[in-house]
Amino acid sequence: MEQKNKISGIYIGLLGLVTLACGLADIFVWAGINPGFQVGILEIAGDDFFRWAWGGFIMVCAGLFMIAGSRNALSLQQFAKVTLGGVLVWVIAGTDIFARICENIPAGEEAPEFLNSLSGFIGGFAPPYPPAVILLPFTLVILYLLYTQAYDTE
Amino acid sequence: MVLSTDSRWEVVDRIARRTVAYGTYKRTLGDVLGELTVKPLTGIPVAVAALFAFWSIFCSFAGALVTDGFMVKLFDSHWLPWLQSVWPDPASWHYFVFVGDPLADNCFEAFGVLTSGLFVSIGVVLPAILIFYLMMTVLEDSGYLPRLAVLVDSVLHRIGLHGYAIVPMILGLGCNVPAVTATRILETRKQRFIMMTLLAIFIPCGAQLGVMLEVIPDMIGLVFLCLIGGFCLFGYILNKVIPGENPEILVDVPPYHWPIRENVVKKMWNRTKSFLKEAVPFVLFGVLLVNLLYLGGVIQALAAFFEPLFVTWFGVPKETVGPLIAGFLRKDLAIAQLSVIPMTAYQMFASVVLISIYFPCVATFVIMLREGWKELCAALAVLFVVVFVYGGLIHAIGILLGVA
Repeated sequence: MEQKNKISGIYIGLLGLVTLACGLADIFVWAGINPGFQVGILEIAGDDFFRWAWGGFIMVCAGLFMIAGSRNALSLQQFAKVTLGGVLVWVIAGTDIFARICENIPAGEEAPEFLNSLSGFIGGFAPPYPPAVILLPFTLVILYLLYTQAYDTE
Repeated sequence: MVLSTDSRWEVVDRIARRTVAYGTYKRTLGDVLGELTVKPLTGIPVAVAALFAFWSIFCSFAGALVTDGFMVKLFDSHWLPWLQSVWPDPASWHYFVFVGDPLADNCFEAFGVLTSGLFVSIGVVLPAILIFYLMMTVLEDSGYLPRLAVLVDSVLHRIGLHGYAIVPMILGLGCNVPAVTATRILETRKQRFIMMTLLAIFIPCGAQLGVMLEVIPDMIGLVFLCLIGGFCLFGYILNKVIPGENPEILVDVPPYHWPIRENVVKKMWNRTKSFLKEAVPFVLFGVLLVNLLYLGGVIQALAAFFEPLFVTWFGVPKETVGPLIAGFLRKDLAIAQLSVIPMTAYQMFASVVLISIYFPCVATFVIMLREGWKELCAALAVLFVVVFVYGGLIHAIGILLGVA
């Protein structure tokens, strides 16, 4: 249990740091400190207050929650903070994915048909992705710990 | 048979032994999460995230998917051209009333009962209302709404309300009619009056939000900022001016749980049904009435009469008089009408704020009347003062910033 607690703590702490950095990057790019960037499959456009400044603030909070919960991470109180951090990342990533689904179902203004083709729909999910979507698979570890009840229930 | 006291206690003990289970209470993760979401340090970021999700899903579903993705194409590329081709005599009055402008190439600009009227009510407002009520019900049934009430309690006390005022406020973002009814959960007449007045003035309904999303997507943030600013400012003033009490409340916070699908569907259906019954006829009747008033020259005369007030005091074109009259029937309709009036970005912003804070729509008006004619008259008096002062203030700020 001690070993598992330590490993989980290190993982969650690192995830928190990366999430915090991503949130700050979202806000800085929106504020114009960097005019938007793309590295590999990661993209921060920073063109919209709602998505990048507001969403960035939520990512910053998610990172802080995870860092705050990383010490003795599998105790009930601490794991609740980690879960809350994970939920915030899922909110941002979930809304990003939902927005892509909604944009890719219709065929587009110029096309005569109403529904997009299957290839067009799938093509809409091609990279680049915002940081929250890239972080999503890494936060699934929290979901695993949640479902296996790896945290201390006493 | 008469039992002695000892015998009675013996019976009580026997029943208790068979029915009561003793044990130690174990806190669950749900309990701790529940506590974290009402503490300001952790609860405020969660509330900010909930609002983010609310708005993002609203825009993606109502804006990108249903309205822009399907309804615009259906109405502009199929319904409007078909109607224009089959309706006889484009120069006639009935063409103007039911189809609208014969040269229009989209339903927003045509402004006929069967073009703009149907497009606004079915194509824009219905998807907005559906997704709004779905999310509202999920928040309610999951147990998050009472936590939000606890979280905002101290803030709302500053404007004479308490945490549960968040319920009519959020309901008002869907439709002001159930929101005015929901003000009954507030304890005192003072609180109910403040909430009702602020709802009528500063809370835009879901229909209005849906149309704003279509007409001024880039300015919605700014409009909201103005409405929130006005809500806090005039709430504070009303709290100071109106006599009465602001009692504290005890909120029973239920544990978090998954919403039950049947309940969600039932609630959504009931809310959407009553909205459809009230809104669609009002939108169609609103377009009809405004078109008749245009045909009779009434709108043009009113525009000329109010020109000094609108142009000099509010800084908006005199043509906004027409949408303001339509705004009494449906505010969403009024904003749709604004989209075809040529004006600068600032004027569009100021006009949308004016329509939002101006007279409540007729359905809200009727419900407010049901709550008491004295309250309604007082709310209207406040409303006229607020529109005049706040509208002028926004214009003054615009002049100072050099944008008006």
